[in-house]
Amino acid sequence: MSANATCEFQAKDYKSDLKPIWCPGCGDYSVVQGIYRALAAIGRPPHEVAFISGIGCSSRIPGYTTAYGFNTVHGRALPIAQGIKLANPDLMVLAAGGDGDGFSIGGGHIAHLIRRNIDITYLVMDNQIYGLTKGQLSPTSQKGRTTCTSPYGSLENPVNPLLYVLAYGAGFVAQASPTDLAGMAAIIEEAIRFPGFAFVNIQSPCVTYGEEAQQIKGLKAISENLSSLGHNPADRLAAMDLAQHYGEKLHLGVFYRNPEPAPTYDALIRERQAALSKDAPPKERILDLFIKK
Amino acid sequence: MTTRGIDFKALSLKDALDLAVLIEQEAKERYEEFAAQMDQHRTPDAARFFRYMALNEAKHGEALAARRAELFGAAPSAVTRAMIFDIEAPDYDAARAFMSPRQAMTAALASEVKAHTFFVEALPALKDADVKALFEELRDEEVEHQDLVKAELAKLPPDSGLSDEDFVDGPTAQ
Repeated sequence: MSANATCEFQAKDYKSDLKPIWCPGCGDYSVVQGIYRALAAIGRPPHEVAFISGIGCSSRIPGYTTAYGFNTVHGRALPIAQGIKLANPDLMVLAAGGDGDGFSIGGGHIAHLIRRNIDITYLVMDNQIYGLTKGQLSPTSQKGRTTCTSPYGSLENPVNPLLYVLAYGAGFVAQASPTDLAGMAAIIEEAIRFPGFAFVNIQSPCVTYGEEAQQIKGLKAISENLSSLGHNPADRLAAMDLAQHYGEKLHLGVFYRNPEPAPTYDALIRERQAALSKDAPPKERILDLFIKK
Repeated sequence: MTTRGIDFKALSLKDALDLAVLIEQEAKERYEEFAAQMDQHRTPDAARFFRYMALNEAKHGEALAARRAELFGAAPSAVTRAMIFDIEAPDYDAARAFMSPRQAMTAALASEVKAHTFFVEALPALKDADVKALFEELRDEEVEHQDLVKAELAKLPPDSGLSDEDFVDGPTAQ
């Protein structure tokens, strides 16, 4: 993403007057702080940023920023973000949502944004539960998880969001957690700066319906920094190998960063438009193309 | 409690003062955030206490900043907020809807203990005598803060015995 700092902004400049209504203790408080810091580090003015979300607790995030925001419909953050990016490629477009929004009802959209390589940063706040609707099984809930929709324990294997996006060929894949706010802010910043589709899975605990092991203390106990493991983020197969530990270990950092990013769809569209525009008929004759001679 | 990119061996007095200011600022902002969360969730007593803590952290920060300005003027800072996380600020998950003043004070006490641990653990790595003296001073101040919170806690009547979990709606099937 072409994110050139034009003037100095501070984290507070991206904070709206709207007060978050998440449950106190929710991991999303930390995530929104990380987003403010990342946006300040990049330095694009709020009116040049569009923040699109689906439905869910985490999807409230756009309202808590001063960027343009669109709290859309369930699972549809990505197609709407895509439309916005193509209509105005100069905007810095972020999309956000939860694991249910992204990998259940909206799961089919991710593949297409990845294959098109649209320059959008997608932040998923993965809490392994539908929290807003009071604790139903979500696509990333662990097998055996007891909820009101799985009273005898879930029989399903969870979706692995990291393997999912790596397998489809995403150019940037990372994981962060509120256990390390500064690290999370740095990862979000790096994802935004990546020229192409970037995905960050954020393990954000649900304090109300989440399990004990998924709270901050539990996450800290299983977290490992990818850089301290000596992981080379240019190695996609090594990233896929590490991603298989999703749910058992919390690997924080960049799993994969394509060292030679492919051209983005929005850039290719601009090129195509430029190439075709010289032979394009004048606007007033555009209907002639559809009229039989 | 995390630091990133701070070389304690090479820490100068200017950077140590800047670090101390950042730690106080982080704590102040977290307490303000907690107070706002308590307001949103109609927990006014806890909100009032968190505001009181935010004010205290702000005062400490201002005193440290004035000391820094007196000694080093406007010399640029070599430490940033990205280098610290949760040193004196209470953990994000320490806040709970409908928390009692006792629970709020217990969360604040845990933060003062955490900050004390930070200074204790950093001390052996320090080389500069002035920085060492500053960290010892800050460490001892954290003990004073702990005593203050403990004294406030002792004044409180016992809690009702209800936990925040008692106020959470049960899961609803769709």
